Amino acid sequence: MSLIQIKDLWQIYNDRVVLENLNLSIVEKSFVSIVGPSGCGKTTLLRMLMSEVFCTRGSILFDGTNLPKEPTRERGVVFQRYSVFPHLSVLDNVLLPIELRSCRILGKILGSRRYNMKEEARTMLDHVGLLRAATLYPAQLSGGMQQRLALAQALIAKPRVLLLDEPFSALDPGTRADIHVLTNRLWEETKMTVVMVTHDISEAFRLGTRVIVLERPLADDPTKGARITHDIPVHPRTKTKTGAI
Amino acid sequence: MRLINLHPGKRGSKILAILPFVLLFAAYLAASAARHEANPDDKLLPTLSQMAIAMRRMAFTQDMATGQFLLWSDTAASITRLIEGLSISALISFVVGISVGMVPYLKKLLVPFVAAFSMVPPLAVLPILFIIAGIGEISKVTLIVIGTAPFMMRDLILRVEEIPAAQIIKAQTLGGSSWQIALRIVVPQMLPRLIDALRLSLGPAWLYLISAEAIAAQDGLGYRIFLVRRYFAMNIIIPYVIWITLLAFLFDIALRLIQSYAFPWFAGAKSQ
Amino acid sequence: MRGIRISSLCIPRIAEGWLFNDGRLLMLTRKTFLKSGAGLAAAATIAPALPARAATKKKFTLAWTVYVGWMPWPWAAQQGIVKKWADKYGIEIEVVQVSDYATSINQYTSGMFDALTITNMDTLAVPAVGGVDSTSIITGDYSNGNDAVILKGKTKFEDIKGQKINIVQYSVSQYLLDRGLQLHGMTERDVRLVNTSDADMAAAFLTPDVTAVVTWNPIVEQIDADKGAHNVFNSSQIPGEILDLVIVNSKTLDANPEFAKALCGIWYETLGIMLSDTPEAKKAQAEMGQLSGTDYAGFASQLKTTHLFSSPEKAADFTKGSQLIATMDHVRQFLFAWGMLGQGAASPNVVGIEFPSGHVLGDTKNVKFRFNAEYMAMTAAHQL
Repeated sequence: MSLIQIKDLWQIYNDRVVLENLNLSIVEKSFVSIVGPSGCGKTTLLRMLMSEVFCTRGSILFDGTNLPKEPTRERGVVFQRYSVFPHLSVLDNVLLPIELRSCRILGKILGSRRYNMKEEARTMLDHVGLLRAATLYPAQLSGGMQQRLALAQALIAKPRVLLLDEPFSALDPGTRADIHVLTNRLWEETKMTVVMVTHDISEAFRLGTRVIVLERPLADDPTKGARITHDIPVHPRTKTKTGAI
Repeated sequence: MRLINLHPGKRGSKILAILPFVLLFAAYLAASAARHEANPDDKLLPTLSQMAIAMRRMAFTQDMATGQFLLWSDTAASITRLIEGLSISALISFVVGISVGMVPYLKKLLVPFVAAFSMVPPLAVLPILFIIAGIGEISKVTLIVIGTAPFMMRDLILRVEEIPAAQIIKAQTLGGSSWQIALRIVVPQMLPRLIDALRLSLGPAWLYLISAEAIAAQDGLGYRIFLVRRYFAMNIIIPYVIWITLLAFLFDIALRLIQSYAFPWFAGAKSQ
Repeated sequence: MRGIRISSLCIPRIAEGWLFNDGRLLMLTRKTFLKSGAGLAAAATIAPALPARAATKKKFTLAWTVYVGWMPWPWAAQQGIVKKWADKYGIEIEVVQVSDYATSINQYTSGMFDALTITNMDTLAVPAVGGVDSTSIITGDYSNGNDAVILKGKTKFEDIKGQKINIVQYSVSQYLLDRGLQLHGMTERDVRLVNTSDADMAAAFLTPDVTAVVTWNPIVEQIDADKGAHNVFNSSQIPGEILDLVIVNSKTLDANPEFAKALCGIWYETLGIMLSDTPEAKKAQAEMGQLSGTDYAGFASQLKTTHLFSSPEKAADFTKGSQLIATMDHVRQFLFAWGMLGQGAASPNVVGIEFPSGHVLGDTKNVKFRFNAEYMAMTAAHQL
């Protein structure tokens, strides 16, 4: 069944039509890549999905009901930058979602319960290859490691959909290839629904099970907003760990 | 080579750093010696030995009226007021700054008020303050609070706003409530910034402290300076000014050390 | 003593005198900075020249601060009386206002002015102790009620025992208090002093924790108007002890006696006008009142508690009299007891004070304060 349903969605910003009459339905356990030139409104779309901005017209249904008006635990995010908390160590960054869930008042757990949680967090860190960096602060990590941490932090909260906003755009190509491998593996293990926005078409195809192309028909015309121009299912066979399409 | 590309060496840098102090010191000694040659009792530029004698008396001889060692009792009185004032200021600013920075309703309610309030020249409300709080300790501490809190508050509001929106969204997607986000994300990141704000407020705090002590006091470093000024005792005033400068400098260093020990992540995060 | 006019009782004064000077003061402050040599190497070269400027010169400055007994000076300058007498002796005299009394003394002592309006006590404590030999050429007035001890809700001086007293410490107020305590068999150990700026004294009296103040006019009048205020001791009970003088740097005086003659000429001509029983006198007093930030009534009432020596004869006689010697002995004992004669002072004798008779109190080899009746006498004899 479809987890997310976008119906007749318009986004108009200061007389400029950003998104025009978008209809899109995302099924559970799919990895949807949204690509398009910069300024096409793909990030705006993603921000709507995380309830950071709201549509002018139309509706978004999440699991059959209207999308909540503010970010929730069901929808995890990883941004291009600032996704992790600079004042927390790597371990504490991953521990944070568990603590927020377990202690509503302090958001912090002490004692033996903390020990068990730490184990869970360590397992997750091991999974993304950051266990040896557990005591470091984010500023001491490379860009690639920070994004791995961001993924680990988002995943440990067990969201129903993971929203990725250009998560790997700031990384150099080698690092990016590594993290693609990791992302693929995590997705295959968790079978989580993922919506990723990127301007890198090869990345879109390498990771996605479905690629949506968003484009404005006339780049200069403010009255014509972006629409979905292509909706391409990606055959699992074309997805390999090394190559592009 | 261009001037802008010439760099002093390690030793050269040290010498350059010391040079202005040495020059000032030498100029003082020369001017003082010249004046004392013309008038052995000159009060304007006391000699080093006159200042040393004065300070020895202030620091190690009991005052006949109060039985105290004046330099130390003055220092203790001033530092107590300074710390009280700054602590209250920091506490108020921290609570208000974070709440206002985080809650849009509070922001709309209080930002214009705080902005207007911070324009009030604190020394101008002093007469009002005297009537309300009397001329004792409370008004001195209050003056420091009025003088420093609005700035710290505005600074902290700005710093809270500077936290990338992405971080706050992310925290919400991890399930954090407003309270939890304040407690786990905003407060810990604001603590080192509060120390920055405190460091910047030290100068004004001393200014208001000394102003308050000049107006009505029984002890304190500012009190002493304004008292002995009545008989032109520069041999006490100059060492006191140096001592205040040194104290202010030590406060600054102490705050910096606390910041780097208590918040090891901060330096790295700031440079990113 | 001799503080600030009522209109600027509140804060701007600190700001003015200390933090951010107004235009005029800023100029003075700059001068101070350069001449003081506090900052720059350049000062080293000019510093020695300063204290020793004794040679004959043509241009002189007299500095004054706002106080009822000194208001004739700016008025005389305004009326052209200063210029008239200066021209007569072929010199120039600049009459400069300094907004803060203590600052004016410090500036005089560092060599910025040739003459200054000051009290007898402060002359001894600052310029004389600071090695700046000064001669008092005009004994202008003595405080006859201008300085007072005021208690809140208590009516006898004795009630002061154990109280916290708001006062400008080390000023003539403290001298008055000391004399009061002395005359009532107490000492300063019986009270506690809180140094309080004169500018804030009136406001301080309105606060509940302030119960005793010692201050001067016009603040005394203002506080006396309060219902609970009781004027329990004032300078009229020690007449002739708190003197307002015009002092001149002795070296300048020796080299330029015509400066002193001109000052005496100006002073007694002005007094003659303001103390006569004519409409001009009233106008003069009203204008002096205005210059000090009050009006005719305010000025006239302050004048009542000020004993002006209306004629040069009376002033000269007082200066030659033996009471002055006794007064100065009180003053130097007081200053010595409070360490204001310098830290090295072994006894009140460190500084010599010379009187017209040739009598010297203290060290005859270190006379730094001279009372001179010569110019007042010359004025009396119409020899100017």
